[in-house]
Amino acid sequence: MNRRVLVMFAVLAIIALGLAFYALHLKRKVARDEQLAAQQLALAPPANGPPTPVTLYVASDSDGTLRRTQVNVTLPPERTERDRAVLRALLGQYLQSSSPHPIGAGADVRDVYLLGDDTAIVDTNAAFADAHPSGVLAEELTVASMVVTLNANDTKIGRVKILVNGQERETLAGHADLRRFYEASNIGQVVKDLQ
Amino acid sequence: LPLSGRRSRLALAIVAGSALLFAALWGRHAIVHAQSVAQNQLTVYSPQTSYSVPLLDVNGQPYAGLVELLEPLGSVDARADGKKYKLHFTPPGGRPLELQFTEGKNKGKVRGNGYKLPANFVVQNGRGYVPLSVTSDLIAKLLATDTELHPAPRLHKDNPSRLLLGFSSPVNPSIATEPGRVRLTFRHEPIVSSVGENVPYSDPLITGVTFSEHDGLAELDVTGTAPMMANFADGGRTIIITGAPAPAPVAQAAPAPLPPAPANTQNPAPQPRQPATPRFLVLIDPAHGGSDIGAAITPSLPEKDVVLALARRVQHELANRGIAASLLRNSDVAITLDQRATSANAARPALYIALHAANTGQGVHVFTALLPAANLSPQGFLPWDTAQAAYLELSGSVAGSVAAELESRKLPNTTLLAPLRPMNNIAAPAIAVEIAPPAGTVDEIASAAYQDQVAQSIAAGITAVRAKLPEVRP
Repeated sequence: MNRRVLVMFAVLAIIALGLAFYALHLKRKVARDEQLAAQQLALAPPANGPPTPVTLYVASDSDGTLRRTQVNVTLPPERTERDRAVLRALLGQYLQSSSPHPIGAGADVRDVYLLGDDTAIVDTNAAFADAHPSGVLAEELTVASMVVTLNANDTKIGRVKILVNGQERETLAGHADLRRFYEASNIGQVVKDLQ
Repeated sequence: LPLSGRRSRLALAIVAGSALLFAALWGRHAIVHAQSVAQNQLTVYSPQTSYSVPLLDVNGQPYAGLVELLEPLGSVDARADGKKYKLHFTPPGGRPLELQFTEGKNKGKVRGNGYKLPANFVVQNGRGYVPLSVTSDLIAKLLATDTELHPAPRLHKDNPSRLLLGFSSPVNPSIATEPGRVRLTFRHEPIVSSVGENVPYSDPLITGVTFSEHDGLAELDVTGTAPMMANFADGGRTIIITGAPAPAPVAQAAPAPLPPAPANTQNPAPQPRQPATPRFLVLIDPAHGGSDIGAAITPSLPEKDVVLALARRVQHELANRGIAASLLRNSDVAITLDQRATSANAARPALYIALHAANTGQGVHVFTALLPAANLSPQGFLPWDTAQAAYLELSGSVAGSVAAELESRKLPNTTLLAPLRPMNNIAAPAIAVEIAPPAGTVDEIASAAYQDQVAQSIAAGITAVRAKLPEVRP
């Protein structure tokens, strides 16, 4: 084997090594981007159009309260999509790193369905429940803020039920009852206590 | 795209083939439950029939006869030739399948494939017997169906006035209690008795157990001389029948020492008592337990441990004030929410307290059930999902009283309504108390000083409203 062949083999080996490192780098980048996308799912803008002010009841763990606030959200024209966008805006508040009521990364609302005119079925993803902090008050704050926020922006909605991945679940994270329908009027009483 | 003639025929053939395969698999998906009875028989539950097979005791090991086991499930042709034993089993609508075994050997053949028994094959009077443990596997291989083998429930009378019912897998019977009687009805689980239909006991409290089964509905009837209660343990695999807790005589109640945790009991063993008189019992429910750890207060401090310690302190403080209190769990066992409610309602307490802990927020949160008030009479039947609605006013009084005591001890507190299970299902005044860390580090939530203050507040709050809460006749 002459010197030229040896040099060629060495060059090819270096190129192969470089490509292997580059492929590994790309694989890690894709995994990182996917993870980031999952975490930021609820923060994504829902639709085109002018931003509309929506009312959110945002929970705070430190003093166990719900605070009324307004944010601008771009809302789709369809009613259930609009309800979903409002809830995603609320979860978006909880997913921020400075959130006063942090919930699990990747928590999202998959869909909102209407039963008749006044009952909303909110289908959340698994991360919403699986990674939710466990505690009576912590879970109640999440449920109450979702129900009352939905009712504040779509006043026809009087009853809300929360599903996880399309399935009924016994509790959110060991405490708050998810088998029942929540009456907005009852939750309103809780919210008064929490304000 | 439109399919060409050849391609469409191919697609049709694939669809038809898939349909036939699906139909074949569907037809095979029949579940046979086989349940062993500890003493001398095996009961087989199949979609077509249920039957019992006598068991043979060979050197202390239970064996089942192959012919008796398989005959009700198809046609059987068995023949013993010297030490060789051959059996042809034909399932309904199927082809004959062959089993071959040799007496005194543990190797044989099933459907032409080698098959190893855990113990030697036995032939007696021309009949072939296999160890009980392989019966479900044999049925599964011959019928190509899912088969399960369940050991029978064990009845264990371990000490006076306590009866343990052990099951191979979790059960969820409906439980009805009346003075001197607890009736367990199993609607979903195939249950057979391991001890016969009627077992008398010479015990001051539990006098006997009667088992009956009719149309797949099994019923265990425990009779006694005084009110009894049933509690679940071991994730629903054990049901413990004990006497309903006796009231503590108020005037003579002496301060009790802080109770240590019993190793394997779910409730402190109550004393059998004489005829039912109204009594004031507080039932304390330390939340979570077993694999359900609740909130992770710190990585090494689960909620289930914090609340169990607090529950014992509350029980101690109540005893100091002459109030009888019982714990729904007094060890690290998992109990479902429905089981908690069932046990609590069976105990007929004057007050139910659920204890929780969290690492978010601060101070103590006192909850009552989030339910619309309903004009229900506690005397009649109550809807399961809203049983608590009949007691909301009394529950609110207790919560207010406990909050006032917390306030007087300068402990930050909040009184709220909460959608917390199983409070809605409790047919008695009920509150839930969640402790969060006091101002300071999270670890302080488990400190004796903090927990004592909370326990004293709860006990003092209950004592203050005791006169409002009706005593209950068990």
